[in-house]
Amino acid sequence: MASRFEKRTDVGLATRIAVPILAVVGGLAAGALILVLGSHNVGDAYSAMWDASFGTSRGFEQTLTRATPLLLTGLAVTAALRMNVWNIGAEGQMAMAAVGATFVALHAESMAKLPLLLLMFAAGAAAAAGWALIAAIPRAWVGLNEIITTLFLNYIALLQLSALINGPWKDPTVVGFAYSKPLPPQAALPFIGTTSVTVGIYIALGVALLLGWMLNRTRLGFSLTITGGNTRAAEYLRLGVGRRIIFVFALSGAIAGMAGVIQLTASSGRLQEGLTGNYGYTGILVAFLARRRVGPTVVVALLFAGLLNGGNALQATGIPSSIAQIVQAIIIIFVLAGESLSGYRLRRTSSAPTATAGPLRPAEEAS
Amino acid sequence: MDFWIDALSTGVVLGTPLAFAAIGELIAERGGVINLGVEGMMLIGAVVGFVTGVNTDSVPLAFAAGAAAGGLLALVHALMVVGLRVNQIVMGLTLTVLGTGLSSYIGADYGSKPLKHDLGTVDLPLLSSIPWIGRIFFRHDVMVYLAGIVVVAVALIVNRTRVGLWLRAAGESPAAADAAGVPIFAVRYVAVCLGGVLAGIGGAYLSVVYTRSWSDQLTAGRGWIAVALVIFASWRPLLILPGALLFGFIDALNFQLQAKGVSVPSQYLSMMPYVFTLVVLTVVWTRQRTRNWGMPLALGVPYEREGRS
Repeated sequence: MASRFEKRTDVGLATRIAVPILAVVGGLAAGALILVLGSHNVGDAYSAMWDASFGTSRGFEQTLTRATPLLLTGLAVTAALRMNVWNIGAEGQMAMAAVGATFVALHAESMAKLPLLLLMFAAGAAAAAGWALIAAIPRAWVGLNEIITTLFLNYIALLQLSALINGPWKDPTVVGFAYSKPLPPQAALPFIGTTSVTVGIYIALGVALLLGWMLNRTRLGFSLTITGGNTRAAEYLRLGVGRRIIFVFALSGAIAGMAGVIQLTASSGRLQEGLTGNYGYTGILVAFLARRRVGPTVVVALLFAGLLNGGNALQATGIPSSIAQIVQAIIIIFVLAGESLSGYRLRRTSSAPTATAGPLRPAEEAS
Repeated sequence: MDFWIDALSTGVVLGTPLAFAAIGELIAERGGVINLGVEGMMLIGAVVGFVTGVNTDSVPLAFAAGAAAGGLLALVHALMVVGLRVNQIVMGLTLTVLGTGLSSYIGADYGSKPLKHDLGTVDLPLLSSIPWIGRIFFRHDVMVYLAGIVVVAVALIVNRTRVGLWLRAAGESPAAADAAGVPIFAVRYVAVCLGGVLAGIGGAYLSVVYTRSWSDQLTAGRGWIAVALVIFASWRPLLILPGALLFGFIDALNFQLQAKGVSVPSQYLSMMPYVFTLVVLTVVWTRQRTRNWGMPLALGVPYEREGRS
């Protein structure tokens, strides 16, 4: 009687729901253990984090504010993943979008609020889409690995942003920090009612709805899913893989760009370093954990935003805020491990049936 | 002249942590595993090395602890991507988050603690008296020389030995290698962990030798530069040395120019290696699609034996 691991495709709904929940519980438990080892009070830490993330209306407002760029970068990565290409460059695309929008705001100071904001979003999305195309076109035409190029374009974009705020756009009245000149007051996103949340969250949710509709309900989205699901077969059948890669990359860049413009117009009011705040990289994790689906992306973005926000609130209590990052990482590791393990089952068997299940995700191309 | 020699000499020092981390990442990638957690592994190596140095007053122990910490974090990556076949990009990014968080947590109380000992410099006999070259390359601490030795040793092992052949086989054609009896899984585990050990040493060099202090995010993106450096070197071990020297030199030049008050937009200087690599990469890739710039064919692809029992 031998026992063997076998692939399974029939992972039940219960398992699929249980894995992320257990991962969150496990991550918080592991975080508690680390806090105890550092002789900190676990109860204090977690209740402060809860209050600052979901427990109070003020905390929840900040969570929504932080979730806005994260949702957009998560959606950007999701869009690209439909074609099985990785956009590691959301960070740089955010930066280029902020640069584009700042350029508009500094040169059109006398415009009215709505047209100015619309123009800034258009310029930012266009700049970011263009930036993404630098990686997309060689990927589509000669197969140049997009992970490498988008990563490199991040360094270049962030350095470009830094050069501008230390050079031509530098505010000479600010000493010690590199800020651009302040944007005109009408370049600020309006708040929702009396809250501290800007309409940026509506924009992000609107993009989510549109993207979800496009990917799941239209011919275009269907063709992307089919082509991305088996790139090689599609290439062989001349299904226009290259064109579609260029399209999703431009779309992905534009969505990430919106995150950059929102960061610029919602919180800082100036172009400054740290504006991208690692949202581009965290968005990759959000998209992957959400299994490249739009709905779950909203949930994961909100959860991560709450976690990071809660972490920031710890600083006042004397507990290192880095515990939030640690918990976040452990949750992701548990989810990844849980998903991998639940894709298999242990079966006692005398014969050797061959597993015919396909891989859990389309195999990445090596080239 | 002195200005340039100083900049080059500092470039050698600043290139040292990059060389350690990049040659480590190169080993993992030649074995077919990409690890985007270099920044996290360097940070954990830096903080554990520094904390150990403060508490034991021993530089060798500090490096050993930093190396072990980096290796341990890499083991998490290996278990997840080699063992559980989790996506390597996602796991690597998660490793960076984990390393950043853990290092900040561990180092929270160590910001202002002093280190008693330093490595001191060792002027290599004869070599150090060569005009210019001696001052640039041969009047440094032992870790600088060790970085050079490690890179050359890795180059020899990868290109000339059976183990090196196994490593390349695991990265180029794991199924064929597996059929030929190469222990693919063991090779990949060892490669990833070695990568972490070397990244940890690189991080410890920054905190224990270069800054001699700890602060959050001490590595300031050098882990990411190490990832870029492997691509810049087109996955060839020996090219890591000039690459690390170039990136280190640009870093040093920025410092020197700022100290002199020269207002050069240093960002454009820092940008150059990236732009250069992108352009060369695109040209090479366009001309000869099959050679792929030396990138291991199975890079990023989890290996799975069919019907595991």
